[in-house]
Amino acid sequence: MVAKSEKKGIDAILRKPLTAGIIIGFLAALVQALLFPAGGPVAYGFCVACHTRDLIVVAFNDAFGTSLFAAPISLAGALPVLTIIGVLVGAVIASLIYREFRLKKGNVKSYVKYALGGFFFMVCALLMGACPYRIALRIGYGDLIAVFGLIAIIVGVFIGVKIALKKMEAE
Amino acid sequence: MEALSKDVAIILVPIVTIILGIIIGWLGQRSGFCSIGGIRDFILFRQTRLLKGYIGLIISAFVFYFIFSWIVPTAFPKFIWFLQEGQLFTAIPGGPGGLSIAATIICMLVGGVFVGIIGTLLGGCPLRQLVMTSEGNLKSGWFVIGMFAGALIFSAFILGWVVNFFTLIGI
Repeated sequence: MVAKSEKKGIDAILRKPLTAGIIIGFLAALVQALLFPAGGPVAYGFCVACHTRDLIVVAFNDAFGTSLFAAPISLAGALPVLTIIGVLVGAVIASLIYREFRLKKGNVKSYVKYALGGFFFMVCALLMGACPYRIALRIGYGDLIAVFGLIAIIVGVFIGVKIALKKMEAE
Repeated sequence: MEALSKDVAIILVPIVTIILGIIIGWLGQRSGFCSIGGIRDFILFRQTRLLKGYIGLIISAFVFYFIFSWIVPTAFPKFIWFLQEGQLFTAIPGGPGGLSIAATIICMLVGGVFVGIIGTLLGGCPLRQLVMTSEGNLKSGWFVIGMFAGALIFSAFILGWVVNFFTLIGI
């Protein structure tokens, strides 16, 4: 029981997004310090888009003998970066422990919408060479070109908010 | 301190990245960390809870890159990026390769705007979608499936089209 109350104290800190942001920044730098000798690029510690790409592309290359592009760090090893699998596992564990796992279904139309959304999101993110997280890491590494990406994302969110408000008014 | 040897680093890639992912998944589930959500909440409600996390990530990445580049300099080449000679208008690799700087910025701007719009309309950045999938949200699950499909199609076809397009119009 003592351990439980202690867990609550730490959990209260971990529930702050600011804490999460600072820890992810630290881990991204730590991971680069450890893994950069395996292959680049720099500022690659955490990226949802690129790490997803590496995972599926390396699996596809292995299965079909193709040579599609993935980051050197993922092509070098026997296994690519497994961050995405880790995120899914970590979030499942946390949501089960804190009893926040709820099965939420939608209709077929919403599934198609989300699948297409994910598809185009990924295409656009890979066009940038970064998801919003790697943009943050690239800016942290001193890549001024990445600032254009962040500005574009902010403009996009602004447009998205306008569209969402219009839709709500129409309903 | 010396960086690890290439052989050791290659073996460590899957192990380190899966642990990294589990920690980030846990943090993401507990805090609801979301980059696009942070910008959206600020535009809509002037709420800074999530935005603080994203800004914290950028600052923390810079600070820890700085500290680690001092401890293991060989793992952090060309840090601080834009201060290196001739690098002011160079992007960190990761996007479509072999493009001019103007083309890279165009990719950044176009990709970023759509990343922002899609993320806002479908309720979150890719990390949030992964976490919501783990919490049992099937719509987000389809988003993730779409992401994997998008990554594969991008690498197999779209990447080549983009490079050809910019060569053709001569930017």
